[in-house]
Parts: sequence; structure tokens; C-alpha cells
Amino acid sequence: MSPRLLASKAAARGVRLLALTDHNSSLNCPAFDSACRTSGITPLFGMEACTREEVHVLCLFGHLDTAMAFSEAWTRLLPVIPNNPEKMGDQVYVDDEDAIIGEVEYYLGVGAECGLDEIGALVQGFGGLVIPAHVDRAAFSMTSQLGFVMHGPWAALECVRLPPATDTLGYPLITSSDAHYPEHIARRPFVLEAETDELLPNGPASASGMDMSALAEALRHRPRA
Amino acid sequence: MTIREMAKELGCELVQDEFEDAELSGGYTSDLLSDVMAHARAGEALITIQAHKNTVAVASLANLPAIVACNSRPIPPDMIEAAREEGIAILRTKETQYQVSGHLFALFATSTDRAI
Repeated sequence: MSPRLLASKAAARGVRLLALTDHNSSLNCPAFDSACRTSGITPLFGMEACTREEVHVLCLFGHLDTAMAFSEAWTRLLPVIPNNPEKMGDQVYVDDEDAIIGEVEYYLGVGAECGLDEIGALVQGFGGLVIPAHVDRAAFSMTSQLGFVMHGPWAALECVRLPPATDTLGYPLITSSDAHYPEHIARRPFVLEAETDELLPNGPASASGMDMSALAEALRHRPRA
Repeated sequence: MTIREMAKELGCELVQDEFEDAELSGGYTSDLLSDVMAHARAGEALITIQAHKNTVAVASLANLPAIVACNSRPIPPDMIEAAREEGIAILRTKETQYQVSGHLFALFATSTDRAI
């Protein structure tokens, strides 16, 4: 899915704040940054990391550089299993014009050498926020892998359905598309009570990016189960 | 032992049975797909409770011709469809991974023409 397509479809569907969270990689985030500026959407950068326990965790950064730095560090924690593009799909990353600039040759759908109890501190060390993904899903979630929602430095928990069918321990809850196909873009959006100038105090085009503590504060006001 | 022979021996239900029957080389028991990808060998049956579409993708990548879903795990329709497209068998049993692994291990151990 092209970052340009993602941003333009999301904008057409009324989305104003959008994160790109590819599996275990942020290599499409530079193109996504550009696409969001064109589409008038505020971007968040990061990935959907897969921990050792095979729990998916959204790692979000307000600045492209920190997301890329984290992605590089995370890459060193991934096992090297050659990808088979015919069977698993190619893992390309593109430029602003959707031209392919590279391909990741090792399979990205794997668990990293980092536990669920470690990823929060690691991401926060880069200035990011951590949101365990689809906690109520039957695969790649805290409930599927551990049997329960675990405490941690979570800015929120992402659910497939609200209210969740599982105990979410009082964390703020969000939903999102988990879009793997264009038709799923912008499904299950959530409302974040925040003003743009709170999240971007230096303006949308500023070099400092998003104020992540303002984002965390806004997430704290999300409904809890 | 072929996939269909194993299904019969283990008393498994054949949930996805559009596949070319093939000799199995053994089994691999794991519920972490990353672990399966790193360690399972081609021709092994995958014994697991991770019954979802990604299991099929991993089985395909690792050349595992059959998935045995234990503990009567429900098999979602998209998993069945993905397996049908790949020609990967899905078997289901009410037994646990321990029971299935023990049973299969013993079957292979007594077979004279197969290394474990």
C-alpha cells in the first residue's frame, strides 16, 4: 500500500491525524511524511513492532528522525530469516513518487529479540509512545499470547471492538484500522480530544514535530472500559 | 507416513482436505510462528494452537505440508481458504499438543523407513 494512497484515502475519509505503522519497520515513513503534508494530515511515525512473545505493539513517534533511529535500532533485534517475496509478498519501501527505493530481504513478520516487558522503556528512550495493538484479537495480541492484558507503560491500548470483551485494566482505549488493504484505510477511527496547536505547538511544519507528552495527555482522556 | 495416514492414525478431523498427499518427515510443535520459521524443517507437520491465516503463511514459507490444530481450536474461514490456495492440509483434534506430539513421535519412531 502506497504511503500516498494511504494519506489521500484517509484525508478523503476525514482523518486528521494518521500513523503509519508497518510491521517491524519505518522505512516507508519518509514518503509518508511527504504524503501527509500534501494531503493536509498530521502524521505520526513508527511501526507495529512484534515482541519476542509475538505480541504486536504500536510504537509512535512525533518526529520522523526519531522514528527512523528507533527503526534502525529495532532492526538489529530482528532475526535474519530470508523473505520469500512470492509466498509472503515483497517488502518494498518507496519514495515520494511511489518509486521503489529498496526492498527488505529478511522477513519482517517475526518476533524481535525484545520482550513485552522491555519494549516500553526502549521506545520511551527514543521519545516515543507505546500502545499494545488489538489487545482483544485472537492472534498477535496480549490476550492471545499471554491470556491477559499485562501492566506496562502503555499510553493506551488498541482494541478491535469497543467496549472490549477483555479486562483492559483501566487503560485508555483506542481503535484503529490495522489496514493491510486499501479498502480498510480509515476504518475504526477514534476521536482524540486535542487541539492541533497543543500537539504541534510550533506549527505543523516545525522541525520539532509533535509534542508527545501532549499526545499522551490527550490519550489519557480517552474512554476507559 | 503420509498426511492422510497421519490424520487416520491420530483420529483428526480433516478441516481443509484439498491437498496433494505427501510423505511427512516428522513434526514440529510450537505456538510462536517466529520460532516455527526459524526451526521447523521442510516436510514436517506443524502441531500448534495458533489457528489463523498467518499460520498458513508460515507453513508455506517453511514448506510444512500440514497443520494440526489442537485443543479443538476453531479454524477461521480465511485460514481454510488460505490453506486451500496453498494446498496445505489443516487437521483438527480435541487432543492437546502434548498428546499429539507424543503420539506422532511414537508413530515415527516405530516406522522403519523414516528418520525422526
